[in-house]
Amino acid sequence: MGLREKILDSRLYRDFIQRKATGALRTYYDVPPADPDRSVRETEFIALDLETTGLDPKKAEIVSLGWVIIRQLAVDFSSCEHILVRPSKELSESSVVVHRIFDSDVADAPNIEAALEHLLPQMAGRVLISHHAPIELGFLGQACKRCFGAPLQIPTVDTLVLALRDIRRSGEPMKAGALRLDTLRRNHNLPPFRAHNALSDAIAASGLFLAQIAKRDPKGELELDRILR
Amino acid sequence: MSIELEEIAEFLKEHHPFDLLPDAEINALPKRLQARYFRAGTKVLSPEQQCLHLYIIRTGGTETRDPNGQLLARLSEGECFGVRAMYQNGRAANNITTLEDSLCYLLPEKDFHDLTGKYPQFSYFFSQMGGDRLRSGMQLLESRDDDQLKLMTVKVSDLIARDLVSIDKSASILEAGQLMSKERVSCLLITEGDDGVAGIMTDRDLRNRVIAKGRSYDEPVTAIMTEKPISISPDQYAFDALLTMTRNNIRHLPVMKDGKAVGMITTNNLLARQSLSAVYMAGRIGKLTDPEEMAKVIALVPELLSHLIEAGATSHNAGHIVTTLSDAATARLLQLAEEEIGPPPVPYVWMAGGSQGRQEQTALSDQDNCLIIDDAYDAGQHGAYFKKLADYVCDGLHKVGYVYCPGDMMAKIDEWRQPARTWQQYFNKWIEQPEPKSLMLCSVWFDLRPVHGTKSLFDDLHRMIVSKAKDNRIFQAYMVGNALTHHVPLGFFKNFVMIRGGEHDKTLDLKHNGVVPIVDLARIHALANGVEAVNTYERLNAVKAFPSISNQGASDLLDAFEFVSITRLKHQVRQIRRGEKPDNFLQPESLSAFERSHLKDAFSVIKNLQSALEHAFGKSGT
Repeated sequence: MGLREKILDSRLYRDFIQRKATGALRTYYDVPPADPDRSVRETEFIALDLETTGLDPKKAEIVSLGWVIIRQLAVDFSSCEHILVRPSKELSESSVVVHRIFDSDVADAPNIEAALEHLLPQMAGRVLISHHAPIELGFLGQACKRCFGAPLQIPTVDTLVLALRDIRRSGEPMKAGALRLDTLRRNHNLPPFRAHNALSDAIAASGLFLAQIAKRDPKGELELDRILR
Repeated sequence: MSIELEEIAEFLKEHHPFDLLPDAEINALPKRLQARYFRAGTKVLSPEQQCLHLYIIRTGGTETRDPNGQLLARLSEGECFGVRAMYQNGRAANNITTLEDSLCYLLPEKDFHDLTGKYPQFSYFFSQMGGDRLRSGMQLLESRDDDQLKLMTVKVSDLIARDLVSIDKSASILEAGQLMSKERVSCLLITEGDDGVAGIMTDRDLRNRVIAKGRSYDEPVTAIMTEKPISISPDQYAFDALLTMTRNNIRHLPVMKDGKAVGMITTNNLLARQSLSAVYMAGRIGKLTDPEEMAKVIALVPELLSHLIEAGATSHNAGHIVTTLSDAATARLLQLAEEEIGPPPVPYVWMAGGSQGRQEQTALSDQDNCLIIDDAYDAGQHGAYFKKLADYVCDGLHKVGYVYCPGDMMAKIDEWRQPARTWQQYFNKWIEQPEPKSLMLCSVWFDLRPVHGTKSLFDDLHRMIVSKAKDNRIFQAYMVGNALTHHVPLGFFKNFVMIRGGEHDKTLDLKHNGVVPIVDLARIHALANGVEAVNTYERLNAVKAFPSISNQGASDLLDAFEFVSITRLKHQVRQIRRGEKPDNFLQPESLSAFERSHLKDAFSVIKNLQSALEHAFGKSGT
């Protein structure tokens, strides 16, 4: 982790941004963050994925969110949710091609502020799991800044970073596509999944996460700190 | 439902027994599941460990071992473990270890019981796997050691295993449940006043009438109990208790003496004595005088067979016990015939052939029998008597439930009711001048066993058959030719070759393509080596000592015989449970992956030993 991330993840920075936050984000910060010294088993996680109209968080917008919660190292399917988000601008053709989400689909969907009001209580006190987390953190952070006046800080496990560490540790050369979610899942004997939407990707990442933890420490007594990004 | 969860539902739909659930139920399941991941070599469950979920393997595989380390099963994708825990208050029974990295879906205990309560076929699949009735092998051994004759007198009072557990009718459901859990009983007697019985309440009532209905635990037990339960007196016989329970489809029976409850017996009490009920049934047949009445007892054979198989009996045991009852009916009918038409003018012996002769009968059997009469027999003088006798018994057996042999291999046919000297000529001809067609028909006569009468009449004949068959290579070659006409249903790539079209489309005929080929193999090796036994199990054990088959080959064949036979019996038991007529046609999909691969192994053992047979004896006549 670089110095910048270290600062952004620090307690000091959290105290600073908490004071600026309004609305649902303020309530989010009222819940203490997950304790990095606790065991992974005792920690609750939220695996999340999102789809956007583009790649740059400053210009593009979120069109859908999917998540599922992990407790006691078990993925709880009763908790999974998938919501569409109505962007402020019309959907571009290229984005429609990628996600197959049309303007008509999102016409009645909540806007990003309402979506975050639903999502943030689910994230409070939990640890975010994402495959390539900078995307999720970037988009959610931008959205929080726009809606609630402050960025988002959340302890995060990046399954891609864990995979990268595994490959480096094994000493084998990196193969093309080795860090892709489906390749990693196959290597851990997880069932193939069809990437249709944010929720399917979130569930896929949650399974990969369980496998990565089982590989490090089957009992889950590992401290959370050791796997954060 | 989201698309990702649809994938889980699709997965469940592809696997037995979830495929038995209606779509609406399956689609609601994924939301109730959890996923967990285990590295290869992880011990997921160990005996007595708390286990509040049914585990469904999504990817990977596991191994089940009993507390002594004995391997019980290897499970793969789509199969379940933790089943026993579902039936014993969430305590695991066995060790489960992953063999590969595995992802499992976990179904909560409550949801499991909701489903088993609602869908009997679904429930049946699991109860067979180790739920309701499975007993430990130890108990089975104990009951085998019992002195059967002494136990013919077992009364209901002897079956009461423990003090009665009861609760006053003012108690709440919660209190009743807590008492059941503390006392570890599956059933509670609800009392009224000092001695009165208000009703009974069972595990199943808690599941079906409380949990599934979302009823409050604070309600009184009277709201869910069964009022005025059927009961039994301690002086009645265990057999009567079994009959009462099977007729009313109940599993708990209060024992009442002079209006007071003195105990409770369950199906488990009776199952521990299951092998006995055959003795009671045989005893009862011995007292009856009317074939119609005997038919009522023989009608219980399928029920007896299901209990035996579910209690873990081997096919060898089950065949023996079921055959005991046909023997009892035969002997009783002969007694009655003699009472009616007078004592025999010359000695005779009634012989059983085919599966009755081998003591390998199952739920469906026709009759194969013949009569060997003393050489003092004179057709003119005694013919009418024996014709009457044979008609009486064959017609009686038909009424009792052992239908006429379609091949007419019965004492009622003149050809098969002959003095010993004529039988000697028959066997002489079959062995010295074999013809393939007649040999095929007569194979039932090479499995003869005396049932009733002067058994020594058979001894000389038997010695002659064994010694002639042993020395005659041409006869043996013809028998081999016959044996090889029964093909094992395995294709080149070890895939099942199933029956196509017709009534039994896509099934395997476990009798003609599984059991019969082994019976044939055992018969040839036994006859060729002068072995007198007729039971397949005994024949295979005896021929181990001879060079015509390797020791390993005979052992493999014994294992294959037991596996194919037990698979066939389990299939018949499933049909009996569903109220269908038992047959021999199995759909391979109804088996678990583990059982399927075992069945393929059994078939390839048969196939290998069939070709070894051809090498050892040559083949002729096909």
